[in-house]
Amino acid sequence: MPALTPEAPTLRRLTNDQFANTVRDLLGDDIVIPGELDPDSRVAGFLSAGASVAAFSPRGTENIESFAYILAAQAMEPDRRDLILGCTPSGTVDAACSRQFVEEFGRRAWRRPLSADEVERMATLADTAGDTLADFHDGLEFAIAGLLQSPDFLYRVELGADADGDLPRRYTDFEIASRLSYLIWNSTPDDALLDAAESGLLSTDDGLLAEVERLLAAPRATAGLQSWFSDWMHLADLPELYKESSVFPHMSDTLPDAAEQEALRTFAYVAIDTDGDLRDLVTTRTTFVDRELAALYDLRAPVRDGFAAVQHPEESMRRGLLGQAAFLALNAHPVSSSATLRGKFIREVFLCAQLPGPPADADTSIPPVTEEARTLRDRVQIHLTDPGCAGCHRNMDLIGLGLENFDGIARFRTMEEGAQIDASGELDEVPFADAVGLAEVLHGSEDFSPCLVKAMVRYSNGYREEPGQFEALEHLAELFAGDGHRLEPLVVELTTSPLFLQAGAVDDGPLEEAYE
Amino acid sequence: MSKFLLDRRTVLRGLLGGAAVTVALPPLEAMLNVNGTAFADGTALPRRFVLYFWANGMIPDEFTPIGVGEGDAWQLSPELAPLADVKSKLSVVTGMQVKVPNRIPHWSGAAGLLTGIDPIGEEGDWTWAGPSIDQVFAQEIGGETRFRSLEVGMRSGGGVSFNGPNNRNPSEDSPRAFYDRIFGTGFVAPGEDPIIDPTIGLRRSVLDAVMEQTADLEGRVGTADKQRLDQHLSGIRDLETRLQRMEEDPPNLASCSRPDEPPADDSFTDLLDKGRLMADLAIMALACDQTRVLSYTFTGPVDNYVYPGIDDGHHQLTHNEIAPQPQVDAIVKQIMGELGGFVGKLDSVVEGDGTLLDNLAMLGTSGLSLGRTHSLDEYPLIVAGGACGFLKQGVHYRSETRENASKVMLSLQRAMGLTRASYGEGDAFTDEWVAEIER
Repeated sequence: MPALTPEAPTLRRLTNDQFANTVRDLLGDDIVIPGELDPDSRVAGFLSAGASVAAFSPRGTENIESFAYILAAQAMEPDRRDLILGCTPSGTVDAACSRQFVEEFGRRAWRRPLSADEVERMATLADTAGDTLADFHDGLEFAIAGLLQSPDFLYRVELGADADGDLPRRYTDFEIASRLSYLIWNSTPDDALLDAAESGLLSTDDGLLAEVERLLAAPRATAGLQSWFSDWMHLADLPELYKESSVFPHMSDTLPDAAEQEALRTFAYVAIDTDGDLRDLVTTRTTFVDRELAALYDLRAPVRDGFAAVQHPEESMRRGLLGQAAFLALNAHPVSSSATLRGKFIREVFLCAQLPGPPADADTSIPPVTEEARTLRDRVQIHLTDPGCAGCHRNMDLIGLGLENFDGIARFRTMEEGAQIDASGELDEVPFADAVGLAEVLHGSEDFSPCLVKAMVRYSNGYREEPGQFEALEHLAELFAGDGHRLEPLVVELTTSPLFLQAGAVDDGPLEEAYE
Repeated sequence: MSKFLLDRRTVLRGLLGGAAVTVALPPLEAMLNVNGTAFADGTALPRRFVLYFWANGMIPDEFTPIGVGEGDAWQLSPELAPLADVKSKLSVVTGMQVKVPNRIPHWSGAAGLLTGIDPIGEEGDWTWAGPSIDQVFAQEIGGETRFRSLEVGMRSGGGVSFNGPNNRNPSEDSPRAFYDRIFGTGFVAPGEDPIIDPTIGLRRSVLDAVMEQTADLEGRVGTADKQRLDQHLSGIRDLETRLQRMEEDPPNLASCSRPDEPPADDSFTDLLDKGRLMADLAIMALACDQTRVLSYTFTGPVDNYVYPGIDDGHHQLTHNEIAPQPQVDAIVKQIMGELGGFVGKLDSVVEGDGTLLDNLAMLGTSGLSLGRTHSLDEYPLIVAGGACGFLKQGVHYRSETRENASKVMLSLQRAMGLTRASYGEGDAFTDEWVAEIER
């Protein structure tokens, strides 16, 4: 076993997606989600890791209270309440029934059994309110609102527990249940998973593996694992995509959503439906378009409404994610493309390099179009030749220039300002001629496959890896490569490894150190 | 209204559905003292703070006024010309420098000025080291009003108000949502009866239970998590205060009235129209004493909005446009026009013998000065309002020695009545203020 020093455990607030998924699982698929919690923030490239440090603002806390009552009222609607209420109340106050409800619903909402004190605390709210409002179900809404406003619901409380003797600290079985379900389903554990935790099955190798495989086999695993991909690719930024429509007539209110669908469907096709090599995400000629994307890409439009699988022709420059609107438009400017932003994203997100930010006092202006310098490549030459810029910019621009055949919204082009575009470049000193060549070089880069593993662990564990985890990560990366770079074996190997199961000690040292 | 009611603030106590309800009759404008600077019982008119933030700085050579001193001793610069109508109501401080290390473009300046502390965290994952100045004031005076502070903006996703590390106060960018929050359920206009609702007491009991749960959890978590939960707890306490306010008499300020409802679909053909509507609603929230601390983010750091008649996004242009950057200059003038309009509106709200503007301190600033180089020299600092007689208005103070911009922040702390004797840490620390903008 590789050496491992696990990170100190931290509370993780539910992301907005997790909040919505969790509420639907608790109260029913047709529940109306009243709104969003505080915006998610990104740390180490992931919203899932930002959740490890973010705190709720006063405004967010105000929203939470309001959402809790809106949800509680829906839960107690006559045609829905029987699904979550396991007893028939005997009057406006029924202490036994309210306690039974708090025990059962509370275990699902807090992802663990409640203590007797906690049951009493929440059930008393229902009893008092039932008396005041002269209605049992109206009263129960206040217990539900209390459960949903509590930190035990809003945060994933995974703190670990000391084990017997010299054994390392490990997450408790209920905490492991949460870690599994939020990783694979991006939602709360179901009753079967909580039962497995309660019976101690998750402490056994066979019991744990059986639950991992059960979760992976469930249809909802596709959407759950798409959440990892979406977080990795920053697809959550798409709704804010801003393009100047006078420059890009293909921009529309619906394009960002279509671009997101294309990327998600491509991921599901490569990683899940065909159980393929994840590196093929950047080389596949298969993609999924609706009529709007077909027009953007100059492909034959699908006959029916909605999305259809299509193959880009062999001679097309479009390959995989790097030829898609989501990546190309997000990593560009409102009126132009950007070799720097595209190269930076590939360097940081696909290859896990940490690039320093630009010096704050750098003059970052790009020379204007002139007779001699019409293409972006000619205009950013200073990035590549000035010693003050080249150190970093060669690491980004030489990659991104390979995508210059795609404009700021992913339209294919061969000319810019009347001049022929040269889309050659290099990645780690391996030259390529164009976007197809870039995709192939990236696919073969020795950093790409381990970076996919890091991306999974950052998302799963909610922090940027530290030296104490490097050896375990390398071991996991070897297993991943040995399994053909496939998603399902990666999830299985991770979730049954100490990297996922072991917890560091709670860090109660001085606050300054927490930010060093 | 009979004199009896005026003289005797009748308190009705009732019991409804088991919940105690307190109903107090409102004080009236007639209860102001003779010179209109305080209520008759000696309570001063509330002092407020407003932060007005815009993205991507300005062009110092076009921004710095001509001449220094008071009144006619100085003239507005080309970029400040749109402030002509309110020149006598504000001061401009130039030549100052934000003293934190300039490591994070757009954010070192914003965080360095508004917290006085260098941002913390790992490369690429920076966050603010402490609360922004609006929240420092909110900690002091926020408990007096229904909302501890309010944050609004014209654009989504921005905002420079922080409670502490990794805890931004998100700006509300929907006029409709903002209206519903402030002027919808829970708002009591002057002269209206307080809200009588048995569920208010029940909701407070739920908050008590949630605070007990939170305190239990705090005993098990690490130091950083404890700080996060403390911030969450303080938000819960704010909510309790708010529920309590609903049962009390509404604040009575002559200019307060329920505004018209904004369009439900939030559709605006011109973003600047939306920004003006947000400003109107936010100013009415101040006039109605719903809050005493407001952050108005016109545009947040690095904003890239393409202004009407301009070729490219604002941020892009600050880097790509060739000097002297006529399009950037035009955008700054447009922003200053909006800022001037905002100050003018504050000055149109009558309070006693003066206006809302006389009873507040407003800081107008950005995340840097010259956008092209992310400079923290020649920092843009506009201080408007009288702060109930504390601030001198109509001054241009210019530093020729790159003084610490924190000095302006200390003047604002003094204007807001804070007893703290210093502002900032490290190189940004100061225990001096800008006496020239104070009375």
